[in-house]
Parts: sequence; C-alpha cells; structure tokens
Amino acid sequence: MTAGRRRVVVTGAGAISPIENGEVGLEGLWSALAAGRDAFLPIAELQFDRDAEADRLQRATAAGVRFDPRDHLEGNYRPIDRTGQLAIVAAQRALAEAGWTAERRTVQEVGLVLGTMFGSLHTISAFDRRGVEAGPKYVKPLDFANSVINAAAGQAAIWLGLRGPNSTVTGGCVAGLQALAQACELIRSGRSDALLAGGADELAFESFFAFQHAGLLGSADLPRPFDARRDGFVPGEGAAILMLEAEDSATRRGGTTLGILAGHGTAFDPSRGTDRGSLASALTRAVGAALEDAGPSVPIDAVSSGASGLPTGDAAEAAALEQVLNSSSGTTPVTAVKSLLGESLGAAGAFQALVALGIIAGRELPGVAGWHQADPDIPALDLAATPRAIPARRVLLTSVSFDGFACAVVLDRPGDQETPT
Amino acid sequence: MSTARPEGHESGRIVVTGLGLVTPVGHDRVSTWNALLAGVDGIGEVESFDTSRHSSHRGGEVKGFDPVGRFRKLDPMELGRASQLAVFAAREAVEDAGLETAGYPSHRLGVAMGTTSGEPGQVEDMDDRWLAGELDRMGAFARLYPSHVIAGHVAAELEIEGVVTMLPAACAAGNYAVGFAVDALRTGRADAMLAGGADAFSRITYTGFARLGAIAPEICQPFDRGRQGMMPGEAGAVLVLERERDARRRGAEIYAVVTGYGLSCDAHHMTAAHPEGDGAVRAMKQALRFAGLAADQISYVSAHGTGTPTNDRLETKAVRTVFGDRRLPVSSIKSMIGHTMGAASAVESAVCCLAVSQNRVPPTIHYEEPDPECDLDCVPNEAREIPVNAAMNNAYAFGGNNASVIFTKLNGSAR
Repeated sequence: MTAGRRRVVVTGAGAISPIENGEVGLEGLWSALAAGRDAFLPIAELQFDRDAEADRLQRATAAGVRFDPRDHLEGNYRPIDRTGQLAIVAAQRALAEAGWTAERRTVQEVGLVLGTMFGSLHTISAFDRRGVEAGPKYVKPLDFANSVINAAAGQAAIWLGLRGPNSTVTGGCVAGLQALAQACELIRSGRSDALLAGGADELAFESFFAFQHAGLLGSADLPRPFDARRDGFVPGEGAAILMLEAEDSATRRGGTTLGILAGHGTAFDPSRGTDRGSLASALTRAVGAALEDAGPSVPIDAVSSGASGLPTGDAAEAAALEQVLNSSSGTTPVTAVKSLLGESLGAAGAFQALVALGIIAGRELPGVAGWHQADPDIPALDLAATPRAIPARRVLLTSVSFDGFACAVVLDRPGDQETPT
Repeated sequence: MSTARPEGHESGRIVVTGLGLVTPVGHDRVSTWNALLAGVDGIGEVESFDTSRHSSHRGGEVKGFDPVGRFRKLDPMELGRASQLAVFAAREAVEDAGLETAGYPSHRLGVAMGTTSGEPGQVEDMDDRWLAGELDRMGAFARLYPSHVIAGHVAAELEIEGVVTMLPAACAAGNYAVGFAVDALRTGRADAMLAGGADAFSRITYTGFARLGAIAPEICQPFDRGRQGMMPGEAGAVLVLERERDARRRGAEIYAVVTGYGLSCDAHHMTAAHPEGDGAVRAMKQALRFAGLAADQISYVSAHGTGTPTNDRLETKAVRTVFGDRRLPVSSIKSMIGHTMGAASAVESAVCCLAVSQNRVPPTIHYEEPDPECDLDCVPNEAREIPVNAAMNNAYAFGGNNASVIFTKLNGSAR
C-alpha cells in the first residue's frame, strides 16, 4: 500500500434483502445468513412489477423483497420507483448504523456511489410503451425522471440530503464492487470524507424475461454456485449500502470502525465473458491489483465470492481463486451469498461485502446452500454447504459479470495494523 | 466538502493526447471542430423515428453515420447505436493519440464511459415487439441493453483489458468519466485511459423531454432572452488520457492538461436545478481547488447551456457566484449540436482541449437578444481567437449530479 495515503474505513452498513424478517440490522442479516435462511419463493407469491405477461416466466422461484414502502419511508415516496425505494431504505439504515444523523449531514457532506445494473428497466419500458400506445402526451413526467440510470442515486440524495459527490456505476453484477472501489478512490483523493457506497436493483418482469430469453437462468428452484449441475442463476433483488469514511474524519466524529476497505482492483475480459480462461485471467488481474493495493503481506482468510450458478462465470471464479489462493495460504474457505439471496445484480457486490463484514466481526461464514456436488471440470475450492466459524483478518471479495467485467475488493478487520511496506 | 488537502502531483500531471468525435455537425474531430468554429447548426428534422404525434419535430441527429469501416473486431451491426457511436469515436481517439504503437500492455489500458440512457433503442425494439405480441422475438437484449455494454464494447473492440467502467451520471456523465480516468492514471492503475460518453437519439428521451415541455420548436438559443428550450441530440466522444511523463517519453502530441475536477449533488430535485445554483457552485469550486487555480485564472467556460429558460438563468447565477463580475467567455455548443445527453460533457471536454491548444473558442449561435438574467459574454454567433490558458467545462444532470473539469495549456507548447 501507499505510505501516507488516507485509509478508508467502514463505519456502518444497511440492507434490505429478500431474507428480511423483521430484523433490520446487520446482526439480523448475519444470523439469518448463518442460519441458511434463503429467500426463494414461488414467483406467484412475489410482489414485483410483472405486467400482464408474467405467464411467460418459466422459472418457478425467485428472491423478491417483501416490501411495503409505507413501512420504511416517511413522506411521499410515490415519485420514487422500486429501485430507488430499495436504495433509500438501505442507505438510511447504513446512516443509522453509522450514527450519521440528518443534523450531522447538514454540517458535513455525505455523498453516494451506487452500483446498479438497470436502474429501473421496468420504469423505462413502461414509460415507452405508454408513449407508443396512448401517445407521447400521456406519459408521466415522473416516470421520465426515473428513466435515467442514475435516478435511484439522485432520489436517494434528495430524500436523505446527500450533497457530496453522487455517482452511479453500472457493470452488471460487478457494479456493487465497482461502486465500493470508486468511493474508495474519491475518499483517498480527498474529494470526500464520507460516502455511502453499495448497490441496488429491482426484480422486474422485463429483466427477468430478458435473462430467461438469453438462457442465463437456472432450472432448479435454488441456485447452485460452483456445483457440477449448475446451469444459471436465480433472479433476486435488494439493496445493500456501506458507510465509507476517511479514517481520520471517522475518528474525529467518534465513528465505530467495522472494517477497512484496504484495496480494490478492476479488469476486463475482451472475450466479453464467452471464454472461461480469458474471464478467469481478468479476475486474476483484478484480484492481483486489489492485493497489491491492500498490501499483500496479510494472508486471505476467506473469500466472499460472486458465484451465482452460471457455468462460465463460476468456473472463471474458481480458476482465478485457485491461482491467487495457492500463492497465498493454502486452503481458504469460500462462500457465495447468492446461494441464499439469488442474483441481486448491482446490489450483489455490496451484499458480498456485508457477508465479509460479518466474518471479520467474528460471525460464522455462511454456507453455500445449493452446493452439493463438486464440479470435476473446475478447480477444487474449500466450499461447504453449511456455516463455519472462520477467524478472519482479511476477506477477499470477487465478482465477474457474464459479459466480461471483473472486480475484486479486500476488506480487513479493524485493529490489526498491517506492517508498513 | 472534504477537509482533506487534495493529493499532490507526485505522479505527475495527466494530459490529453487523443480526441475522437462523432456529432451532428461532423463525423470526426476535425470536421466537428471546424463546424463548431464556423457556427454550423446541426439541428434538423428528426429522421430516426416518427415524431408526427409530438409537438416538436427537430433534433440533433448524427446523419449519414456509417460505423462499419471503423470496426475491426466486433460486428457494428450487432450492436446498439450508442455503442456504435462510442466505438467509432474511441477508434479515432486511439489513432489520434498513436496509442496502438505506444507500447502499453493491453491490461494497462482502461475505459471509462458515461451515458444518460445507455442503449434505449434496445428497449424501444423490445417494446415494439411486446406491443405487437412478439415479445418472444426480443433478440439478444440481455447482452446488448445494459448500459455497461457501451464501455465493454469499446474495450472489446480495442482489445483493452484493464480498468473498464461505466458511469451513467446522465448529462454530466462525460465529465465523470474524465474525472475517473484522471484518478485511475494518478494512482497508477492504468497507463492510458479512454474517457468519454455516448448517447443515441432515442424515442424515449425525446418523448420525455417533450412531455416536460423542454424542447425548443425550431432552434436552440442558449442565454438568449427568447430561448424556448433544449434540443435533444446524440453523439459519441472519447478522449485519450495519459500521464504527462509517459506522453512526453513517447513523443505524443499533447492537447491539454487535465488539472482538476469537481463533483457535487444538489440533493434538491430530480429534473430541476437548485434555485441558487448551489451544487453547480460547489462543483466549480472543488475543481478549482484541486487544480490549484483561482477563478480569475480561467480563460473560458464551456457552459452546460441547454437553452431552457431555467437552466440558463440558474447557470448564469452560479457562474457569476464563482467568477464575480468578470466577463469571461462562456459559450454553449448545444446551440449547434443540441443536448447530446451523456455524450455532451465529453464532447465539450474535447472542445475545451481544442480551445486550449488552438486559442479559439466556439460561439453560442442563434443569439439575438440579451437576457438581463443571463448576463454573460456567451461568445455570440462568432468564434473568437483569444489566449485560452485554462478552460472549465461545466455539466449538470438529472439527479442533481454536477461535474466540472478544468483543462489547462501545457506551458505554451500545446499543439
């Protein structure tokens, strides 16, 4: 790591997820994940915008957030679509967890870097179809405001008074990790002292059907990351957001440090995810950059992987992890939270980070619930279907998108001062 | 704003060595720049979709655009139009910079692209099929629509394997991409970055702005008393950025130095600017602070200047808050090419680079009657030859996202 650089710490985190069950805090999420509570329900029981075409959806299950905005948002939430509402709930929970009151936010600026794959594809498509069917004069101006991909971040800024840098990052399923990476740089460079960073995406008919049409969805009721029989992912949704701060500034205000965002790395596979080896190389480069950034002297104790059950993506993750873990510390436990939450797209990387924060806080490493049969065609990893106690000082987060984006983030336990290099 | 001091320049300055542009007034940087200096109006009748049910019918389309010749690896006809525009501009920028013979390994090259709507044409195709009862023929939507594919297509076409990211910060996205690229270079994560923006002319965007009553009937007249609105447009624009010492070592020609950028958020309204221009002022001030410049050292401002009554009035207020009573040139090329959305501030960044290197600033055309609420020197109707030591590019977006970038001359030796 670079001497004299500002250190970026995590001082809070919040989420709204499909496994939410009355317990809104981090402890509730961690214990639900460790208990292996999964989120998959018959799609007929899920409340998401599916229009009249839902009978075209062939999958039986998905992971949807059971969510009434009235329970979470005080005020007129109607101008905000589902992706924006989810983002706001996760952000206000992260602020509360970090002790960032509304009053403090008027004195010191907080910004937001939000990862998303779609923003709200449902809003965009519904707006367009209304314009075509009823005529352009009959579209709703509010829908147009929400049709821009950065709408959720903008709505969250308005709702929560976030006047600092406001940025949206796409990148498919790696968007959440890329958002953490961009926020880290904005703090390190002195552009901001405090940024919310994470991701949000909604379950919607349009994206669900598009994934189905592209052959990306799995055939089983539950996701099977790394399993020999994996054949696609299970759609999910939600939002997860971390409060990131410059360590000096967080210390001044008396914030509690849950973890250290020690490093990040990003790379691209020019085969756009079609070649397993090329995708694995991209992730290997991303991890290499993240470890170089974090200081490679600390061994990786656990991995919070983005594996979702996609044949090529999971194989690339396994190949990259074999390479980087072998040169690190032998057998390293790997978990894949999408086995419990489904593929929450732009939110996924931030959920991976919440899992990592739990591990470094001493909670159990969640099991990979759908993993039953090792795949002989991919490198063997230290996987388990059930939770394990893993003392961890450093957790690696990895993710690839199905079209070639790769990102890695390193989270360290607070209090373990690394030796300066 | 952060209390921390900006990081120093230990990694050296970041410079611009290549430009690529495809706009309603030209399909490359030279023809676009010449047209902008000549005050050519690129607005015309909309041809890409039927506007008969709209009350306005004009826009800034890139007409006669044929992407085929520029593609060597991907098939442009399989990609959405924003990707076509992006790759087209990226190829020109890479050739302009001489990047292919620069000796940088592919994993040390990166891409940061901005957009407002990504590939909305894919949604429109899907919706047309849906309404025709043919949703099952939606094609490769999942691989062609999500906005990050624009950056992905640029990287795949140019065989770039490093830091690749997509920043859909709406109409400020091009500036966000330039800022991201600066940081990636300054921290040593890449040796060269392509930074830019792309948006395609779109039924969705046009319908939305029409519904907001924002589209001008005939012409776009930023800062004019009689201005009647903005004009939707499309474009692709890409800049090549490198560290100065690397560019000098390989003998690259340098347009300008990117000396600072600033980001802020109004946190006020999704589609309207803050009544006091609060966020715009903070973005400008942050950019000046990071550039280590005082406001009176800026020679030229490339305005957001959409031509809507509100934007131009509030932008004037913000500019006057930062620059005081000094009448520096503040022009809007949107008078000529319209509002090219996520590409706009990337096009304008390229224009700032050219202004700095050639000491010429493009005009605001269709300027007829001064507006006391827009009391700026908007370089009316005629380009101007003046020393441009430092240019500031301002961009404001839906979501209250504001971004300012400052480009300065390289010690008088710019080309």
